[in-house]
Amino acid sequence: MSDETHSARSPLPVASLDDPQLQIAARFPRRTENIIALNFLLGLLCVGAFGAAFWQNWAPWILGLTFGAGTFFLGFGLIAWGKYLMPQGPFVEERHVLASTEAERDSMAAAVLQRGTVVVRRRKLLGGLLAGGLGIFGIVAAFPLIRSLGPLPKTTLTKTNWRRGSLVVDANGRPVRRDELQPGGLLTVFPAGYETNEETQAVDQTVLIRAQTGDLVTEPGRGSWAPDGYVAYSKVCTHLGCPVGLYEQQLKLLVCPCHQSIFNILDGAVPKFGPAPRPLPQLPLYFDDSGYLRAQRGYDQPIGPGFWERS
Amino acid sequence: MTPTALRRPRTKREATAALGPYGRLGKAIGELDDRLGIAKGGRTFLDKIFPDHWSFMLGEIALYSFVILMVTGVYLTLYYVPSTAEVIYHGVYAPLRGQRVTEAYATTVNISFAVRGGLLMRQMHHWSADVFLGAIVIHMARIFFTGAFRKPRELNWTIGLTLLLLSLANGFIGYSLPDDLISGTGIRILYSIILSIPLLGSYLAFFIFGGPYPGNEIIPRLFIIHVLVLPAILAALIGGHLFLLVRQKHTQFPGKGKTEHNVVGSPMFPTFIAKTTGFFFMVTSVTALLGGLAQINPIWQFGQYRPAKISYAVQPDWYMGWLDGVLRIMPSWEFTGFGHTIPFEVFLPAVVFPGIIFTLCFGWPAIERLFTKDNEIHHLLDRPRDRPKRTAAGAAVAALLFTTFGASATDVLANFFHVSLNAVLWSFRVLVIVVPILVGVITWKICLELQHGGPDLGKRKRAMVVTRTAAGEYRAVPSEIRPGDEHRELEPVPVPALIDLDDGSLEVTAGNTRPDAEGVRRVIR
Amino acid sequence: MTRARQLRALLPAALLVAVGIGGLLSLASDAAAASSSGLSSLNGAGTEGTAHSPVAPVQPPNTGTSNSSVKVYKHGRLVAYGNQAIRYSYPPTSYVPAGQALYEEFCSSCHGTEAAGSTRAPNLVGLGPATIDFWVTTGRMPAENQNAVEAPRKPAKLSDLQALEIAAFVNSLDPSEPAIPTVNTKGADLAVGAELFALNCAACHTITGAGDELAYSTSAPSLRAATPTQAAEAIRTGPANMPRFTGNLTDAQVRDVVAYVTEEIQHQSNPGGLALGGVGPVAEGFVALLFGVGGLALVGFWIGDRS
Repeated sequence: MSDETHSARSPLPVASLDDPQLQIAARFPRRTENIIALNFLLGLLCVGAFGAAFWQNWAPWILGLTFGAGTFFLGFGLIAWGKYLMPQGPFVEERHVLASTEAERDSMAAAVLQRGTVVVRRRKLLGGLLAGGLGIFGIVAAFPLIRSLGPLPKTTLTKTNWRRGSLVVDANGRPVRRDELQPGGLLTVFPAGYETNEETQAVDQTVLIRAQTGDLVTEPGRGSWAPDGYVAYSKVCTHLGCPVGLYEQQLKLLVCPCHQSIFNILDGAVPKFGPAPRPLPQLPLYFDDSGYLRAQRGYDQPIGPGFWERS
Repeated sequence: MTPTALRRPRTKREATAALGPYGRLGKAIGELDDRLGIAKGGRTFLDKIFPDHWSFMLGEIALYSFVILMVTGVYLTLYYVPSTAEVIYHGVYAPLRGQRVTEAYATTVNISFAVRGGLLMRQMHHWSADVFLGAIVIHMARIFFTGAFRKPRELNWTIGLTLLLLSLANGFIGYSLPDDLISGTGIRILYSIILSIPLLGSYLAFFIFGGPYPGNEIIPRLFIIHVLVLPAILAALIGGHLFLLVRQKHTQFPGKGKTEHNVVGSPMFPTFIAKTTGFFFMVTSVTALLGGLAQINPIWQFGQYRPAKISYAVQPDWYMGWLDGVLRIMPSWEFTGFGHTIPFEVFLPAVVFPGIIFTLCFGWPAIERLFTKDNEIHHLLDRPRDRPKRTAAGAAVAALLFTTFGASATDVLANFFHVSLNAVLWSFRVLVIVVPILVGVITWKICLELQHGGPDLGKRKRAMVVTRTAAGEYRAVPSEIRPGDEHRELEPVPVPALIDLDDGSLEVTAGNTRPDAEGVRRVIR
Repeated sequence: MTRARQLRALLPAALLVAVGIGGLLSLASDAAAASSSGLSSLNGAGTEGTAHSPVAPVQPPNTGTSNSSVKVYKHGRLVAYGNQAIRYSYPPTSYVPAGQALYEEFCSSCHGTEAAGSTRAPNLVGLGPATIDFWVTTGRMPAENQNAVEAPRKPAKLSDLQALEIAAFVNSLDPSEPAIPTVNTKGADLAVGAELFALNCAACHTITGAGDELAYSTSAPSLRAATPTQAAEAIRTGPANMPRFTGNLTDAQVRDVVAYVTEEIQHQSNPGGLALGGVGPVAEGFVALLFGVGGLALVGFWIGDRS
């Protein structure tokens, strides 16, 4: 059904100003008009003030206040106009059935099926091959988007720059001497030469803590890893990779600030609480002949969060 | 003698009369109609009826927030540089001077301190994004609880959910662009979440980031996704969303004169246009007031992101809070075996859980059809109480998401209420299971109660005014109708095609009338 | 359909599968082939570092101890040390008697008459006067609730002078370091301070210095009320669960951090308006939803119908 029944042949209906649906909602129209006019005036002034404030580069709170107030008054007036000074209705509109007639639906289906069958029945092989070609095209079209984006991971996820003999330095490149940290001290360290490299910082970052030598629990095979109470763990949380920089000195706990995984530094940074699944990998240390702290070798496992290839 | 119609008009009155009864406006419409054929469609468009219920305005909050986002966003792109190249900061903010920072961070600080109106625009943009997503969520809740997603609107429901998903992504990407400490931490977490996907994780992470973390590619890529790819898709989907709304017409609550075959409310012109434009100004006003008076994301206090730096009390923006919460409360179940690792403590909360929630949402029209076996077309809405099971299910999921959202603030809550962090975390592990069940059951019971409360329950009542007659008798009469409520008592009529302005009660101006022989102005039909 | 036709229909599908498998195989075997950018620099160029030190043995940098700083003696006793950035001074010995009296009244019941500690309270001997001064001037001591996990900051019960007197007495039992620091924030580099703060302090105190709850009922306090002396004392002595920064930060670095705390953290620039507590997105989300969405929903409530 369409609007043709309201064609020019039959005259359009005329409503009278007395119709109840055309009445406005305001009980005191003059007063309402005045209020709305006042709002518009205030809005105008405030928006103008915003313009001046912007030109003069005044503080953000002045800009926001003037602009916000201006648009508030304008909006308030406009809404009030629409609500109180316009015909209150209610008005009705017919919903025309969205669906087409049976006959039209049948003809649509027929158009696809019959014309399609005529073509495909005689050219089935062509159709099949075209479908195959389009499918492969679709897959291959994604290749530039995916494969060009980046390199394959290979071993990058498992290696850091810590090697046998790497000098332990802080963020300013200063090496660590035996008496520099006292028990309870903490320092973020990197292998020498990499302390300013923002790229490798993400995997190299290591937290160095000095504990009381007697407090440390020696893990099997790690007897020489913590000389003089100096113990070093990867700073990359094994949960989601946040730097575990929160050290509670008396509780001997490293807490990850992101999701509150808690690691005990005395027994190999085993997680005590929270979502982290694995201990923080430990970096074996030793003091060289000049008294500087170095790494015995790199980490014995991939640092940071888990991934599929991690065994 | 040339006929009047062909004579060139000599006086102003003749010229005005020659334009026809509707003056210059009529002529303009005529010219447009000659070229575009818009008169009939335009008239139908102006007559379009919009149902008036207040809950139908929630979607408009989202729509106008999107407009504000686009406008403020364009402004920001004029000054922001999406690059991780290092520069020395030499700008206005003293504690940063001389520091090496990325261009992305430096330009964002520049916008905040040096660009005229820059901080206001940045803050309006960010507040508007928060409001945008909040509006989408309550709009979606309204659609869900009133059953507006049923046939024929399932496609619109799907489009809307896609809008929600893409807006979530765009919001997260947006606040990560300044490359500050807090949002950079979020990017690190994103990387680890992608990494946790079995089989594909490491490849996907390397492809998306262009290499190992952090790399130099992610900021420029996120930038182009944030300003071009996603806004284009969002704009197109919003267009489709509105088109379907216009084509299928809006739903309405049952009421006087309202049937499945009509729409009752106010016409597009002038009432709805006035109200909706006013509402747009209001949305702008609230955004501007927030943007000017309440500070958001003060990145100069956070500093440049470096992978070795971290802050405590780091939460994502509110709409990502539910994911952060589940990540915190998830027990540390990681599977290691057969030479591979599946970090379930990351994969389940960050990938599987949202996957389940969104699948549930996308599939809800089909799920509900499975249970109700209802394939009818519905243009009339349900009151939530009339569908206790659907309302209870929705309330339970909302309670679940709200609890996970609360779980993202464990440390802030522990600090505020002076309780142990560990206790708070364990409480949330319990709450996340108990609260949805409780809320679902209680909601269901409340719905059943409300159903038996009578037809007037929840409706706006008219006060009874007690009056005393001269004789001393007390009588209770209903009070006067509030202004604006009268129309609900009337029978709905079609929008009048023409209005007789002739009865003298209206002052009319030239242009739609002309004086006849008696000098009385009449409307020309 | 005849068998031949069925097979012909399957042909495109089979082709598709074959190509797909081939593509995946080539992708996997790519692992053996070409290099990718940035990796060679990571894998190859590490400084091997042998047994010799990379730098000549350097003078120990100024690290806040008397061994590494300019020292001042009086009557043969060390009374102060330090440099331009921070000057550490011991309280005069004339304070000891008064300090002893105060100690016996306020501290000995928990810490013991010899300040050696008890089951209730730790040993105080050999910790340096800065430790005592910090705990007393911040009001943490005398502790109100002895069963609390950590003593929180509260209005100081004893005056600064009294704190110095007690510190003098306890120090006299076993003179140690660190002494009371006086920080000279002139010439402090705020940029360095900001970097150090982000690297060392923000993990507990938050990047805006607002403080937060840590694990097992411990907490990192807000930095808003700390004086420069208290901040330097906390950094050098590591009170409660806070780590001790001794050799790992030079006096200049400590001065920079203290200046950053007292000038930036305590006078945060909030040009954008109300700071909302400085807790970040939690408060912002609350405001956006309550005032933004809520306010606009109220406006919608006004515009629309109610039934």
